[in-house]
Amino acid sequence: MLRSPNTVPKTKFWFLIGLTFVLHSLLLYRFFQLQVLDYDLYKQRANSNRIRANSVPAPRGLILDRKGKIIVDNYPTYVLFGIGDEIINSTQNFSVISKATGIDTSYLSINYKNNFRSRFLPTKLAKDLTISQLSRLEEYKNDLSGIIYKQYPERIFNSSIRASHVLGYLKELDQEFLSYNKNNSDYQFGDLIGWSGLESKYEYILRGKKGVSYYQVDAYGREAGKIKGQKNISASPGNDIITTLDLELQELLEKELNDIKGAGIVSNPKTGGLLAYVSSPDYPPDLFTGLIATKDWETVITDKDKPLLDRVSNGLYPPGSIYKMIVAVELLERKLVTESWEVFCPGYYEFYDRTFKCWNENGHGNVNLEKAIVESCDVYFYQAIQKVEIDNLSERSKMFHHGKKTNIDLPSEMKGRVPTYNYMNKKYGKWGWSKGALLNISIGQGELLVTPLQVALYTNILATRGETYPLHLVNNKLNKLNKINIRNSTWKLLEKAMRAVIISPKGTGRRADPKIKGLDIFGKTGTAENPHGEPHAWFIGYGLKNDKLISIVIMLENGGHGGEVAAPIARSIFKKYFENDYKIAIK
Amino acid sequence: MLLNIWQKIKNSPTIILIPVFILLLLGLLSLLSIATLQNQSPPNAFSKQLFFLIPSFIMLFVMSVLSKRLIHKYIYVFYVLVVFAVLLPFLGDKVSGTYRWINFGLPFDIQPSEIAKWIIVLVLARYLSDHNLQMTHFSSNLFPLLIALIPTIIVLKQPDLGTAFVMMSSVLPMLYWIGARPFHLFMIVAPILSILSAFNVSVFYFWAFFLAIIIYLSKPKLIYGLGVYFGNIFLGLIFPLVWNSLRPYQQNRVLTYINPEIDPLGAGYHIIQSKTALGSGGLFGKGWGQGTQTHLKFLPVQESDFIVSAIGEELGFIFLLLMILLFFFFIYKILRLAINASDRFSGLILIGLASIFMAHVFINSAMASGLMPVKGLPLPFISYGGSFLVSSFMMVGMILNFGRDDGD
Repeated sequence: MLRSPNTVPKTKFWFLIGLTFVLHSLLLYRFFQLQVLDYDLYKQRANSNRIRANSVPAPRGLILDRKGKIIVDNYPTYVLFGIGDEIINSTQNFSVISKATGIDTSYLSINYKNNFRSRFLPTKLAKDLTISQLSRLEEYKNDLSGIIYKQYPERIFNSSIRASHVLGYLKELDQEFLSYNKNNSDYQFGDLIGWSGLESKYEYILRGKKGVSYYQVDAYGREAGKIKGQKNISASPGNDIITTLDLELQELLEKELNDIKGAGIVSNPKTGGLLAYVSSPDYPPDLFTGLIATKDWETVITDKDKPLLDRVSNGLYPPGSIYKMIVAVELLERKLVTESWEVFCPGYYEFYDRTFKCWNENGHGNVNLEKAIVESCDVYFYQAIQKVEIDNLSERSKMFHHGKKTNIDLPSEMKGRVPTYNYMNKKYGKWGWSKGALLNISIGQGELLVTPLQVALYTNILATRGETYPLHLVNNKLNKLNKINIRNSTWKLLEKAMRAVIISPKGTGRRADPKIKGLDIFGKTGTAENPHGEPHAWFIGYGLKNDKLISIVIMLENGGHGGEVAAPIARSIFKKYFENDYKIAIK
Repeated sequence: MLLNIWQKIKNSPTIILIPVFILLLLGLLSLLSIATLQNQSPPNAFSKQLFFLIPSFIMLFVMSVLSKRLIHKYIYVFYVLVVFAVLLPFLGDKVSGTYRWINFGLPFDIQPSEIAKWIIVLVLARYLSDHNLQMTHFSSNLFPLLIALIPTIIVLKQPDLGTAFVMMSSVLPMLYWIGARPFHLFMIVAPILSILSAFNVSVFYFWAFFLAIIIYLSKPKLIYGLGVYFGNIFLGLIFPLVWNSLRPYQQNRVLTYINPEIDPLGAGYHIIQSKTALGSGGLFGKGWGQGTQTHLKFLPVQESDFIVSAIGEELGFIFLLLMILLFFFFIYKILRLAINASDRFSGLILIGLASIFMAHVFINSAMASGLMPVKGLPLPFISYGGSFLVSSFMMVGMILNFGRDDGD
């Protein structure tokens, strides 16, 4: 039974003790290795296990008008995300969201597909959720899995104006853009970037610096509260930009050009600052934010009036008669004609076997240079131009910023076209064109093409005898334009003629005058023939009252006669600006 | 009668209860941290563990005062019963994919293999002490091995690799204790090493060389020597065929043992997360209830298999040092009792029980720290688990009982 004695040698005991000691020491050493020697490695690994960094979007800077009124602001919007890894059944989730918010399920699933990057990252499903949509979503929270929402600052626009071409819009960065801009690590997928207009040009000012918020996640990637001792980096908002735009003038000009195809620019010749900038038709500025219904988008894209085209800086038009002042300067400065040199206008001009018509078929009778500008007589210029060398004229045109970019602070503008000898040879062959082509150019037709923006600069040069600044939308320290070497007598004649355009009984621009005491309006109308239908109607001009000076360019695409349709629009702007002692505070 | 019991308790080596209760407290502390910080309302692991302390203490008492004679007399009967008991789960439904547990209609399941592992110790102790065996003969080792293997193979089939390993862990030390030749014991282990070394060609060559030297130095009869040698080599060669018959999760565990980083989201995930939790605890830990890896559930099976990582993360290396020292002290004390035991039967039982505890401690800690493949073995007195806790305290009771020199 239990009586068999325990006769085990001590060595066996010591051997087993030794074995036990070795095994325990092994464990102890292993713990020491992990917890003390490799502590840093595992601590870091533990943190990367649980810590997630979330970027906090920075509110963009505001866009203000010259008086500090807000044109573009931010407002908080809610964005709905889905986390792929946690969504148990996407169809079921989407139909619940749809039921709660009224957002189409197909819209959700398309967004989910397009924005998807990883099943662990939030995928954007819908933007611009209202508080009431969110509260209804909260009610259905138990039926949802992996659906979260976050607050983002979104652009909101002053309701009184649109100015969509100037302000531009933001674009959400996609993979394509990022792969082109690998070096620019500042931007990440889903960030907003100014994509056109001022938003794009002044991106570096408007864009703030993103912040980072840290939070911890559990083993399933679910958010599990804040991390002790880990400070979030708050986002620093972007800086505001103060534009030269004038909210009220912009509003008025937009109203005047409503439902009309064309462009309108109001600027201050003394500074070069643009007070109003309208390309019509335009699009709602919030077209690119929030939920764009595909329907709306289609409407904008397929509209034959091209609302997306910025006619001010990217529309090319023949200038028509507003070009005549440049021809006049060339004639006088090279002394090709005298101020009193006269031409008889019977309403047409026969040049070899071709007949060139004057716009007034009844003729203007005897016409000198001043009368030719005031009444816009074409026949005078048909004859005078024959004394002009084409390359001299194109040089003179460039002096007035034709065929040159204005370098306005917008991302894109067209250069326009001023024909030269070489250009004509290239286009028509050496013997393919004759002086007859110059006759068309002399009245601002033919190969000449300008943007309304160039015309605005041209008008400012005329208004200040060349002492103006480059056109701009945001106040910058700009240098004056290069001095234009023209005799004072020539400037005087131009001014006299442009004043007569407004006040003489036969002046074409009479309708531009708001008839305010002490206000002198100078101007020129144009009616530019084109192959697309009715002529383009132009009015350029400036108003001077005491120290106040503004210039206006109105161009109506296929609008008809400049004096009849464009000039009255200018009048209402002049009226608004100079009436009631309108305050100016332009730097 | 009562006086007799009091006498027995008074004579028991109760000092071994000190490490046991400290370790128990450490485990409860950790379970409490997990339960409260993760807002688990009762019944949670902590409250269930508290509940299981009642039967545990009762069994501790019963086992410490039970007549050794009675145990000795009926142990063979118990052995037969326990073999049936480990077969019983196969009649019921699978629980968590295995036939480990039986449900008697109680709110918890019972795991008969927990009892079987020390029943084997008792049976072996009686068999080895009753007969005057010629332990220097290799053949004398075979019958004891068979006794242990029968329930072990059934448990292996449940399948429960970890417990099966623990069940076998007591056999070799007991044979060694009673006088088996170390070379013979080596021969018993050799086939397993042959299989393991078959993983890698160069390791296998080294093993073949090492085996040859051991056999040469032990100077057996030529025919035996050659037989053992080529038998082992053959085993290593057919191993790939056996490998394919293993269950995928077992294969995975062995594979990720070789390289845990091989599949960070699969089986290796457990080991990586466990090491991360342990390592990030550092010397002093993150503080009780502050374990991010534990409470954010990066740490898997944190109440039982990986509880040592939960302790390591929150309380740090110093507490693991304390824990290891306590376990060492505990096992040292049992071995001490074994060498001082007045009779062979008691000594053998103490050796067997010490082996079981050692196996649990080593395998659990080694797997949590990434030294061994994941086996799914709990840590005595610390891990959550009803059957295991009761069984552990029964073994402690037996240690008190058989470590007591009362001339019984």
